[in-house]
Amino acid sequence: MTQDSGNLSIDFLVGFTIFILAFIGVATMIPGILIDLNAHGVDYDAVAYRSGVILVEDPGEPSSDLNSWETFNDMQKPNITRFGLALSRDTPNILSQEKVDRFFCTTFVYPDDYHQKVIFGDYPYQFNISLLDPDNNLTRSVGDIIPPNHGYIRRLVKIKGPSNATIGASYIEAHHYYYDNSPSDNVSTHVFSILLNNTYLLNAVKDPSYQINPQKEQIMINITDLRSTIKNQANPQLINITLAKVEVYRRDLNPLGTYQLDLMRTFDTPRIDGNSTPQLPPVSVKDNVTLLFNDPHFISQFRAQDTSLYINLTFNLDQPGTFLNNSFSSPFNYDYSSANVTQPSLRNAAVEVSVW
Amino acid sequence: MNEDAQWIIMMGFLVSFSFFFLAMVINQSTVVGQTTAESVSEFPKNDIRDTRDAILWSVNNGTDTDWVQRDMSAISLSRRDAVVGFSTFTSIDHEFVYIHFNNGVTSYNENWTIL
Amino acid sequence: MVNDGGQLYTIEGVSAGLIMLLTAYFVLNSTSIYTPGDSHINDMQLEVLGYDALLMMNTPANNTMVKSPLQEIVEQDDGQRFKTMFMNLTNNKTGSTTDRLQFSANYTYRIQTASTQNATASAFLSSSRPYTEGEHAVRVTKWVIVDKQLGSSPVHNRAVLVEVLLWRDA
Repeated sequence: MTQDSGNLSIDFLVGFTIFILAFIGVATMIPGILIDLNAHGVDYDAVAYRSGVILVEDPGEPSSDLNSWETFNDMQKPNITRFGLALSRDTPNILSQEKVDRFFCTTFVYPDDYHQKVIFGDYPYQFNISLLDPDNNLTRSVGDIIPPNHGYIRRLVKIKGPSNATIGASYIEAHHYYYDNSPSDNVSTHVFSILLNNTYLLNAVKDPSYQINPQKEQIMINITDLRSTIKNQANPQLINITLAKVEVYRRDLNPLGTYQLDLMRTFDTPRIDGNSTPQLPPVSVKDNVTLLFNDPHFISQFRAQDTSLYINLTFNLDQPGTFLNNSFSSPFNYDYSSANVTQPSLRNAAVEVSVW
Repeated sequence: MNEDAQWIIMMGFLVSFSFFFLAMVINQSTVVGQTTAESVSEFPKNDIRDTRDAILWSVNNGTDTDWVQRDMSAISLSRRDAVVGFSTFTSIDHEFVYIHFNNGVTSYNENWTIL
Repeated sequence: MVNDGGQLYTIEGVSAGLIMLLTAYFVLNSTSIYTPGDSHINDMQLEVLGYDALLMMNTPANNTMVKSPLQEIVEQDDGQRFKTMFMNLTNNKTGSTTDRLQFSANYTYRIQTASTQNATASAFLSSSRPYTEGEHAVRVTKWVIVDKQLGSSPVHNRAVLVEVLLWRDA
């Protein structure tokens, strides 16, 4: 008859104790597996933070003065290594308007272009990058709709606005930009000259946040109240004013050691009388002309960083008379004086990056 | 001793050990987020940038760098637990600023030329 | 030799008990996972936001302004202006909801007397409300160079550290 004492041998007990201790260690980790957790889920915030830093504190690659990624066209897309919206390496959190416009341009494809140049990594994260611009009441974004579970970072920035100059009746009077009403001065062709002195502009203010750099940024010159400069006619409204041409000259050193002005090319897109469509000169003008240099290639093509550019507008009147003309005095200097030019100003904005 | 089921029981142990290893690996993945965020907060990027910007602004705008330097050293040590110092010196046609920052974990030294 | 006739029954009993305990443990523990990384991520986001806000306040809007808004605030002890600017910068979000961030700000300066060269003192600047409840707070700082009379020293170029304690309401 068997005796079922139920005793366990010592070696079994020892082995079983060790096994139980190990198993208790495992058991505490089991609940972690039962919840659906993949390693990529925990670093959404880290990827969002990194993308935020790349966008807001880095100027992008390439971003030298002569060769910057926002000037590349779509064919040159592969040459862009990295997007970055900052104005320069030394000005983090200050964004360039040109870079912002180019970044949100729909010619960059979501998600591939952005993934290779902002998000990086092998895992195909989805993301949404938004820019809030409260001063312009504008929200720009690229990416998908944000789901509930996502990594997030918010960066506060300032966007540098463009500079512009308005030359109106009071300014013209104060600087006497017109011939006096004497018979020998009545001519029918008048030239108004604007000076962009790059040597001065790039050296007087070195901080990129406040610098006027026509090679990289938009500049705009508004000339208004043209008819107020016709002083010697009974009815100025009857005179026909024609903008014959707008030419760009560069000041160069000639072999004799003196300076001369070389004609570079004409500017073919002035905007006349508040019309947003540019018109090719010669074109008749009622009262105002706007020169908007918003194509980054136009001024940088002259390679005039170390010299000056003169923009000459030639007006023809159908009868001789006084008109806007500074060929006998001095050109309008686009400089850092707020009496002449509205300086570039920084406006508040926010960049939000969500990754999932 | 009855040892008929030895192999089965040993196989069972083997399976449970491999289970343990897998569980360990997956469990450690929750720690990833913590380390990244911690290391971001630990590296004093903002501190160094801020200190450097203040020093360069002070030098470029002609303030009394003597007072500013003493202020920054004393306040940095007591409030930010960091040793900060800077000195300016001039050579022929350049002015240099030597900036030093050390918060015990990270040290930063820079020689900046003012043109 | 021990009589080991009933070993299997013993083992069976122990295993059964173990399995029941284990199941109960799994069920109860699966309801929540303690991820220790959570609080650090929130802290990092708050710190970045606070530092950005102070940096924006210390940047003049254009070339004509000689001093930044933050310099003027510290020189004039203008707590109300600090509060308006700071709350505006940190709480505005996309969409219609605003965030629930609160702050408390002061600035630290060095005291120079006959006996002490390197003592520091703090002066209160501004706060949105007293720190009574809320999540874990972070401290962000910014150096500001000002022309100010601090302590018993005359008006002079001084470096001052603006410190802001920032937290999110629960």
